[in-house]
Amino acid sequence: MKIDKTKLSRRDFFKAGTIIVGGIAVSSTFIPFDGLLFAIERPKGKGKWYGIGIDINKCIGCGKCAKACKIENNVLDEPFYFRSWVEQYTIKMDGSILVESPNGGIDGFKQSVPDEEIFKSFFVPKMCNHCAKSPCVQVCPVGATFETPEGIVLVDETYCIGCRYCVQACPYGCRYIDPGKGTVDKCTLCIHRLDKGMQPACFEICPTEARIFGDLNDPKSKVNEFLKNHTCMVIKPHLNTDSKLFYNALSSEVR
Amino acid sequence: MPQQIKRLIVAFAFFILLFLVLRQVLKPSSFGDLGHYRADAIQENIDSELHYAGIDNCSKCHEDIHMDKAIGFHANLNCEVCHGPGMKHVLYAGNFTDRQLPDSLLLYKPVGRSDCAVCHQVNAARIKILFDTIDNSMIRQIDAMTHNPVNKRTNEKLNCIDCHNPHQP
Ligand code: HEC
Ligand code: HEC
Ligand code: HEC
Ligand code: HEC
Repeated sequence: MKIDKTKLSRRDFFKAGTIIVGGIAVSSTFIPFDGLLFAIERPKGKGKWYGIGIDINKCIGCGKCAKACKIENNVLDEPFYFRSWVEQYTIKMDGSILVESPNGGIDGFKQSVPDEEIFKSFFVPKMCNHCAKSPCVQVCPVGATFETPEGIVLVDETYCIGCRYCVQACPYGCRYIDPGKGTVDKCTLCIHRLDKGMQPACFEICPTEARIFGDLNDPKSKVNEFLKNHTCMVIKPHLNTDSKLFYNALSSEVR
Repeated sequence: MPQQIKRLIVAFAFFILLFLVLRQVLKPSSFGDLGHYRADAIQENIDSELHYAGIDNCSKCHEDIHMDKAIGFHANLNCEVCHGPGMKHVLYAGNFTDRQLPDSLLLYKPVGRSDCAVCHQVNAARIKILFDTIDNSMIRQIDAMTHNPVNKRTNEKLNCIDCHNPHQP
């Protein structure tokens, strides 16, 4: 078809338009547009899909999970590198909120506000949420961070270029750059332990069973029982990250 | 067709071919098997070393302590919460029949006051009693500074384990 720019008739215009629009419509039935889909989906039927439950009522803030995580995964000892850590939230009588996390809770907590001024206080253990729609995975420019078919967000150290996009993208602050390696590092849900049939280190060590872990696809798993018996919530639900870390008794103050 | 276009087509074909060949050579073999990443990276993550052995392993050799603990208040506590990571200990302690372990296999013994205080120190966030029920979430709290610091008769300093058995408090 030849378009004469000086004398474009209405007929020619409709002809060209129909060919372009129709062509796209027809070709999209062969190759569907999937730019808006996510790389990984919850497996239907068989296949594991790991989920985590944390009971804030049960947490006594001993910080043993943060310590176990550091030892198990050889995380740097300095107090700003954490894959798993505990925060103490103190809501005072005047409504102000105080968040403390001295060395991630590893050395224990000291109550810094006198009892009379406290309205309520609680511990919040934090770790990677292993979101199904991970913002961190979406921003990686080189495919160095990804979700396994079981829904665990991992990092490929040999591919990471240390660009820090994912550190910025994570709404939960669960990533850091390892200054020695120059690559990003994060919770692997102790996939090396899962593979051998063990629990991740922080779940293994928790003295009060405040941390529950299991397969969301198995209706009889511990985590599903936990979800059924408690009123659970994720942090920052409005971000639609499809987080798989569910907290019981989560206060709206927790960010 | 104009001459320029022909040359351009040749140039384009050359560079596209070059790209395809280079991609074939440079792409890691497992890239794209499961998604836009190197599938081998999963195995590399799995290959890291274990440090924590889990409670089932300790009871194999320390059955007596395990039994003691199972009927006490610390029943839910994993041995490694207090003693630290024990994978090496579990793997190699069996080799020492004379019960004399080398230093590298000894585990940490939390004998100090601060070791117990990590969990038992009074803190408003450690829920004392939840809705008046006895519940796992409840942890008895003491002030490590004032809870029986010295022996009243001899004025000696006391550690927690002088009065409480750590395995059966
Ligand atoms: C292969 C058998 C074996 C296993 C499994 C084992 N131990 Fe031991 N453990 C020993 C032996 C042998 C000794 C040294 C003699 C003794 O004190 O009984 C010992 C001693 C200890 C000591 C005292 C060390 C000291 O300073 O005197 C502690 C604490 C200990 N084990 C904790 C653990 C914990 C925690 C676990 C589980 C992670 C564990 N053991 C698993 C064999 C084992
Ligand atoms: C509340 C923390 C705590 C827990 C939990 C705990 N221990 Fe201990 N353990 C201690 C302390 C403190 C000592 C030091 C006792 C002493 O020196 O008198 C000790 C000493 C030991 C010893 C040395 C032998 C002895 O009696 O002096 C062994 C062996 C041992 N523990 C094994 C275990 C095993 C196995 C478990 C798990 C079933 C376990 N412990 C759980 C705190 C703990
Ligand atoms: C990792 C945290 C942790 C550490 C460390 C720990 N405990 Fe405990 N302890 C607990 C928990 C949790 C309970 C409550 C268990 C329950 O009630 O089901 C408890 C219960 C107790 C009780 C019983 C309180 C009651 O209800 O009457 C005593 C006594 C006690 N611990 C003493 C100690 C001593 C002494 C040490 C130091 C050797 C110690 N604990 C270290 C977690 C810990
Ligand atoms: C002089 C011996 C002695 C020492 C040392 C001692 N305790 Fe106690 N502890 C007791 C006695 C007796 C009780 C029970 C009576 C009571 O509630 O005060 C008790 C009770 C407790 C309780 C239960 C409190 C409650 O509300 O029921 C805990 C927890 C505890 N001790 C932890 C510790 C810790 C942690 C240390 C070390 C910092 C320690 N104890 C040191 C003798 C001791």
